[in-house]
Amino acid sequence: MEIADELTIFDEKLITKLNQLASNKIDYWDIKSGVGIGTNLDFTDQKSKEVSSYEIRECGIRTFKNGGWGFTVIKDLSENSIEKGFKNAIKLAHLTESFGKNKFTIKERDPLIKTFRINSQNSIDDISIEEKIDLVKYHEKISSTYSSAIKNTRTFYMDGHSNNVFINSFGSYIYQDLSVLRMFTLAYAQKDGILQRAVNSVGGIGGFEISKTENASGLSEKTAKEAIELLDAKSPVGGKFTVIMDPKLTGTFIHEAFGHAAEADTVLNKESILEGKIGEKVAIEDITISDDPTMGQGKTLNLPYELFGSYFVDDEGIPSQKTVIIQDGILKNYLHNLETSSRMDLAPNGHGRASSCTARPQVRMGITIIEPKDWDVEEMIKDTKNGILCQDFQYGYTDPTTGNFQFKCKLSYKIENGEKKELMRDVALSGMTLEVLNKISAIGNKKSFSFSDGMCGKGGQGVRVCDGGPFIRAEDITVGGLG
Amino acid sequence: MEDNIDIFSLGKYGLKSAQNKSSDMKCAEIFFGKNKYVNIEVEENSVKNSEIGTDRGVSIRIIDKRGSLGFAFTNKLDKKSIDKIVNLALKMMKAGTEDQEFKDLPIYYKKYPTVTGLFDDNLRNMEIEESIGAIEDLIKVCNDDDLAISQSADFVSNYYKKYIFNSNGLEANGKETICTISSNITVKDKISGETSFGHDWQAERQFLKLNATKIAQNALEDAKRNLNGIKIKNMKVPLILTPYGVISLILYPISSAINGETFQYRRSFLVDKRDEIIGSKFLNIEDKALINGLAGSSSFDGEGVPRKNKKIFENGKFLNDGLLHNSYTAGKEGIESTGNASRGSYSAIPSIGTTNFIMNPGNFSKKEIIKDVKKGIILDYTGDSPNIATGDFSGLILHGNLIVNGEIKDPLNETMVGINLLDLFSKIDAVSKEFKIFGAYHAPYVRIEKAQIIGAAH
Repeated sequence: MEIADELTIFDEKLITKLNQLASNKIDYWDIKSGVGIGTNLDFTDQKSKEVSSYEIRECGIRTFKNGGWGFTVIKDLSENSIEKGFKNAIKLAHLTESFGKNKFTIKERDPLIKTFRINSQNSIDDISIEEKIDLVKYHEKISSTYSSAIKNTRTFYMDGHSNNVFINSFGSYIYQDLSVLRMFTLAYAQKDGILQRAVNSVGGIGGFEISKTENASGLSEKTAKEAIELLDAKSPVGGKFTVIMDPKLTGTFIHEAFGHAAEADTVLNKESILEGKIGEKVAIEDITISDDPTMGQGKTLNLPYELFGSYFVDDEGIPSQKTVIIQDGILKNYLHNLETSSRMDLAPNGHGRASSCTARPQVRMGITIIEPKDWDVEEMIKDTKNGILCQDFQYGYTDPTTGNFQFKCKLSYKIENGEKKELMRDVALSGMTLEVLNKISAIGNKKSFSFSDGMCGKGGQGVRVCDGGPFIRAEDITVGGLG
Repeated sequence: MEDNIDIFSLGKYGLKSAQNKSSDMKCAEIFFGKNKYVNIEVEENSVKNSEIGTDRGVSIRIIDKRGSLGFAFTNKLDKKSIDKIVNLALKMMKAGTEDQEFKDLPIYYKKYPTVTGLFDDNLRNMEIEESIGAIEDLIKVCNDDDLAISQSADFVSNYYKKYIFNSNGLEANGKETICTISSNITVKDKISGETSFGHDWQAERQFLKLNATKIAQNALEDAKRNLNGIKIKNMKVPLILTPYGVISLILYPISSAINGETFQYRRSFLVDKRDEIIGSKFLNIEDKALINGLAGSSSFDGEGVPRKNKKIFENGKFLNDGLLHNSYTAGKEGIESTGNASRGSYSAIPSIGTTNFIMNPGNFSKKEIIKDVKKGIILDYTGDSPNIATGDFSGLILHGNLIVNGEIKDPLNETMVGINLLDLFSKIDAVSKEFKIFGAYHAPYVRIEKAQIIGAAH
């Protein structure tokens, strides 16, 4: 990538200069700078609405002194503006420190000097725009012509290739060459005045091969099929039900209703239901929850790319690693970045993540899962008298301070006397996180385990994540409805 | 944009370059954006981070005679980079499909409406030190309260400039400022040990209009109102929406449903409802871009088309011309753009959005609206939004209370509302005089005669 040459500005000479500027004035600094190119394709009803291409460069400079952070963002990678930005950032850290009442230090960690590259089979740089468009046209055609009841379709494709440099005052120098691909398909179906839609996406870290897997190739057909099925779905009647969640919904529940409360910045800010609960029993004994964003997990699932939520190092230069959050029902660890680990006197565990070079790292999840146990899914359904089997989600949200959550499911089936019955749409599940973790009555086996991927938003930043688990069953869940 | 860069000559250079390079080109547009921002963040009720950032960039959109659109952008501003994105956009244009529904980019406009008060010199040159006073006001409110245990908050100021040129001779440019203050306060009950949070925010064009103390006090009251939630049984009762609730259940869904693109693809629950009375007489909604000094105001849209004031709903009637268009969707209908092209940054092609989106206030006082309710629910905040395609809403009340004998009582846990918006619009039976402005939304208190409430109590 030609514009990657612009990153050679971060050489020894410049780093020495920055260290001189920082000496004695601040306690810590880091810089993350990247250059990137990418493509966006947006088609509706088999026609292109957007065919676009870009190249950008950006740089974020972060400084720290005694509890106060400074941050400057620049878009011009000249020595002059980097130095100017650095000096400004030093001033900002001093200013923050002079007004802030919370004093703490950032503990020194081992420096990391390393280059990471994603070796994709089909680099997105080598694929012509025509071939990418053909892919989108293929999906548009499949969903548009799936049924005469499909009235409107949309396919969105995006890829990006970036080169990044991370340097900090511990002496780290990390170079990364990464590419990402993501695709969405959307279908609207209409019959007898009823309008329903379905959305599905696939994403990963790697090259164009991400779009060629079985899962990706079948994306548009799956979406069209779901939209058509939903036309005949019934609206739910609200009340209390036993609910079986599929891996996608289980993953969303673990991420959204529980995972955010385990982020140590939320805990320090007294906004978490898990504050002060390390070592306490917070769930039934069968529950083990972990976050493991390490690379190499695609292979174990026979995928030719890395999972969307994986990373080599976090955005503070700490290697990704597996962290157990709940072990056998007991809360063991929070997720940390440099700041929260220093303040709680623990080792960092690689969860300081930012949406780009121009955003400050926050504590974020990577790949969050609930571990499988021994229930067979068929048995689980058979064992359920009056319940709902909920598959996939539309969205979910949680009040962090109380743990009151809601998830909107995509496809839900009534269960009567152990049998899967009719389809329902827009089933809304609600509960209090810590209550539900203690109302789980069955956890599925390894065979039922899978992942899904998406973007997670917090404080205006979106980062790539995965979550997953087996099928799980929870008792006495509130279900909303219109009737 | 460094001050030594001549945007006007770069813009003209880009358009000419596109014209010279392609005989298939029908029209082209070049957009420059520059932005400088300041951000101060509070965590654990203490100043934690200060940030200054800049961004600038340029994008080009080129459409050929077949109607295929190519788009490219970069954040380097020199002739070489302009040439590069022109080439990229032409390549994208050639690869795209034909679209006979594309008519043209906007024409040249001689005159633009005057809207004043969108720019504050204080904010253009804002230094962190000058804005810290507002942050200290927030911190004080939390410090002084017995139950408040933490606050996360921030102040953001933005100064931006934009320039639009197109091959039809259109030229528009302007500068604006905006600043936002927000507060999230957590309170803890000393006896029950339960916690809850409250939130408020304010966005203004002028720094001096921010009232940080008031915003933190509102967040604090909100948090206290939500402490020690109870679970209730299912019931069908009157539902009162606070201004924040009105945004979630009336203004935001309508703004999405009248979006020209959503409408043309028939993804809106308001399709086939034009010119019909679908709401009670209390439903009066306008999109007003030309009010001086407001957060949603401006004199031209993201494509350089003059802004307007428009009525959307009048006495419950969804007006025939109550749709929002950019030049593409308007062209498709054979009408003029309504000036609702929205463009957050140089890196995006124009979409469609509202300006100041206003539900007009009524004659009742807030007190009167609540006083008559024997048993009901007041909804302030739901993390949810209705399904725009169907109008169905089934969402959790994250902040809301029980109303008993005209008084606001216990907050609610695990309580959901289920209603279709068409039903909701027709059941509005009172609208308050008092209203609140959240950025570009203006909303009063609204009472719905009856709604289904799903509770978690047995």
